[in-house]
Amino acid sequence: MKCRVSLLWLALSFTLVSSREIAQRDISREYQIKAVFLFNFTQFVQWPEAAFPTPDGPFLIGIIGRDPFGTYLDETVQGEKLGDHPLVVKRIQSPDDVVNCHILFVNASDKADVKLILEKVKDKPVLTVGDAPNFATLGGMIRFLKEDNKIRIRINLEATKKANVTISSKLLNLADIVETQPH
Amino acid sequence: MIRSCHFYSGIFCRATDVRVVLAVVLVTLFLPGCVIGQAIIPADTLKKLSMEELMNMEVTSVSKRPEKLVEAASAIQVITNEDIRRSGATSIPEALRLATNLHVAQKNAHDWAISARGFNTDLANKLLVLIDGRTVYTPLFSGVFWDRQDYLLEDIERIEVISGPGSTLWGANAVNGVINIITKKAHDTHGLYVEGGAGTELRGFAGLRYGARLNANTSLRVYGKYFGRDDAVTPEGSEASDEWHMGQGGFKMDVNASAKNTFVFQGDYYSGNVDLSTGGTARVKGGNLLSRWTHTISDHSEMNVQVYYDRTSFSQPVPESRTEDNLTVLAPAGTLKDDLDTYNVDFQHNFTLGSRNEVVWGAGYRFTHDVVANAPALAFSPDILDRNLFSVFVQDKIRLLDDLFFTLGTKVEHNDYTGFEFEPGTRLQWNVNGTHTVWAAVSRAVRMPSRVDRHIRLPTPGFAPIVENLLIGGKGFESETVIAYELGYRAQFGSRVSSSLSTFYNVYHDLRSTSLSPPDPIFGLQFPLFYENNLEGETWGFEVNILYQVFDQWRLRGGYTLLREDIRVRDGRFDFNNALNETADPQQQFSLQSSLNIFDFELNAGLRFVDSFVYNNTGVPATVPDYTELNLRLAWILKDNFIFSLNGQNLLHNRHAEYVISRPNPSAEIERSVYLKVSCRL
Repeated sequence: MKCRVSLLWLALSFTLVSSREIAQRDISREYQIKAVFLFNFTQFVQWPEAAFPTPDGPFLIGIIGRDPFGTYLDETVQGEKLGDHPLVVKRIQSPDDVVNCHILFVNASDKADVKLILEKVKDKPVLTVGDAPNFATLGGMIRFLKEDNKIRIRINLEATKKANVTISSKLLNLADIVETQPH
Repeated sequence: MIRSCHFYSGIFCRATDVRVVLAVVLVTLFLPGCVIGQAIIPADTLKKLSMEELMNMEVTSVSKRPEKLVEAASAIQVITNEDIRRSGATSIPEALRLATNLHVAQKNAHDWAISARGFNTDLANKLLVLIDGRTVYTPLFSGVFWDRQDYLLEDIERIEVISGPGSTLWGANAVNGVINIITKKAHDTHGLYVEGGAGTELRGFAGLRYGARLNANTSLRVYGKYFGRDDAVTPEGSEASDEWHMGQGGFKMDVNASAKNTFVFQGDYYSGNVDLSTGGTARVKGGNLLSRWTHTISDHSEMNVQVYYDRTSFSQPVPESRTEDNLTVLAPAGTLKDDLDTYNVDFQHNFTLGSRNEVVWGAGYRFTHDVVANAPALAFSPDILDRNLFSVFVQDKIRLLDDLFFTLGTKVEHNDYTGFEFEPGTRLQWNVNGTHTVWAAVSRAVRMPSRVDRHIRLPTPGFAPIVENLLIGGKGFESETVIAYELGYRAQFGSRVSSSLSTFYNVYHDLRSTSLSPPDPIFGLQFPLFYENNLEGETWGFEVNILYQVFDQWRLRGGYTLLREDIRVRDGRFDFNNALNETADPQQQFSLQSSLNIFDFELNAGLRFVDSFVYNNTGVPATVPDYTELNLRLAWILKDNFIFSLNGQNLLHNRHAEYVISRPNPSAEIERSVYLKVSCRL
């Protein structure tokens, strides 16, 4: 009997999932996974003290360019904290605002745009993440790429070192490491 | 393929909470809109996954790689690692029973007849089988020695089974279907995996794999396995004397050398002893080395080069042959040996041209060196043979409208038997609303001659010089051809049901037949028999599949296949076997698989019905009766990394027949069996 109740409960939760799905139909599985990756990065990356102006100020995850996550990223970080810093998603309107972010997701594919944005946060403790084809070689820190229909991550270690953000060995072990392209 | 989305659970899937992962799998599998708009997984569910698990999640349901696109609009079924594990399958042929578009018949303890859409004879020869891109059918008879194709099942990522011709991309022999066995990447098999068990038929088995990251970009795994299987039984109930012992080991290394270059190096070695019911023991051994370089030229262009070497050998006793009345020995007993070396190189380039064209083209060369040591009663002439096979292919998938695709392509091959062969194919695919796909295809495929068709000899030294050979290959034996017309439909109904229907009408020409020689002037004997291409005919039917997610924890999968065949002797020609020798196929097959999770337990059941079929015993039809059989598996998952399972196979009867074997082998029947298995990931 207990088993039957639990199956019923599961069926019910399935229906709930389905109705939520209708509200968010446009967000692809790819960006659902990427949103959770962004959240997980907060666990595997260390930012310098100086990155937080106040002891309980927000931890900002910025999105620049079109927002591919819908409300999914907001739901992912809702109620989550890094230490005393509550996680907050911020859609960046002006490129000048990027410096306040701790994680910056760059949704741009044009090489010039990517360069321009990366130039703004150069050597600042902002973990830059993107999925443009040469994001990491252009100086971005973490690039998402699809391989065998799965998400892999590629890390530009040199860029993270310059920015004084430290990536845990656990994350490094799972990632491909690349060098910055000499230009 | 009925499940348009699938999730290949990686090794890390048990790392946190198996139920969470399972919930994700089930939710992702069965929500609507898998093809285009994808289901939303609650963020809280995804957040419970480890980084490794996240990295193992499939992003889209239909692969973007051009060689896969053709499959999306074809009669494809995919068997995942999870499917294999939960079915309790202990070998690749047993795993293939999960593909309902195949007829899998176990002949004895170690032999299987496997085919799609008919022609499942002793020398079934219309299926192309690849393991990680390496062709494993033997040019000896264009079929597969299934007792030599093995892998640690835990490390098989998936098996793609396509019924219908795949020759435009894959070439000769992909006449009625293609089986692609794909092993996991070394990057996905870090850590130690150990399995072992014992049972009534599968007497004992053990397997071990260790995988590690060598540096940031390189992973390596090594594996080994061994098993021993008990005899099948004769219809009278005595031992069929066909025990089977086999060991295999190998490695795979994946290197992501740079952002644009990846390399794969892999190899396997196997060795085994196979007892034969005709007496004695066959020894089989072999190995292979394969390397593949994939280079990303740009976001829209990728190429790969693959080279491999494969060696496979067997040595098997061949019993003496006697006349029908058993009085005269035609040829004494002896041993047949075969050593086959294959050298193969393939090149492939995919690119998009403008916004509407996805082009894939490639070229390949294969060299085989075959050395046979003849037995008195079974021989090949010439005994040593080198063969060259050249091929080029090109295919363009054109987007006519947003949701309408037209694919056109051809393969051109040159082989040493018949010269040039053309294998064109065309395909139309219409995606309706992202949840329905209608497709149609017309393709031509050929089966090139094999050594059996041209070079076999059944010598009769005891009867010479009146009769030198009972049977010889046909000097003029040509390629067999098919023109296949296919129409298919795949759909997602709501959130819980998906299904696919594939129909086909195949027209065959120049199928193998057996002719008689003109009578000799003294005794009027018409020996030797020899092979010609005097058969033609049509086959038609359909394959239907339904997947029903009853609850998150309970999944049902049903399949039904209908096959009708009309194979006949061409007007004015002759066949010694009355057109019965090229088919041994059930008209109907039905299967139902159930997969249920209850707390830390997995309960699986697989029921199959196989219709009766006619099997030809040298011109005399015999009938293999229909049968229904049941497999059950109950597994207990302990602390996420230990699995204990109790498996029952063929539980409904003490023994049943799935096939008949030509004389002189006595036919064997398959017994009910039970085995216990323990596996552990560390």
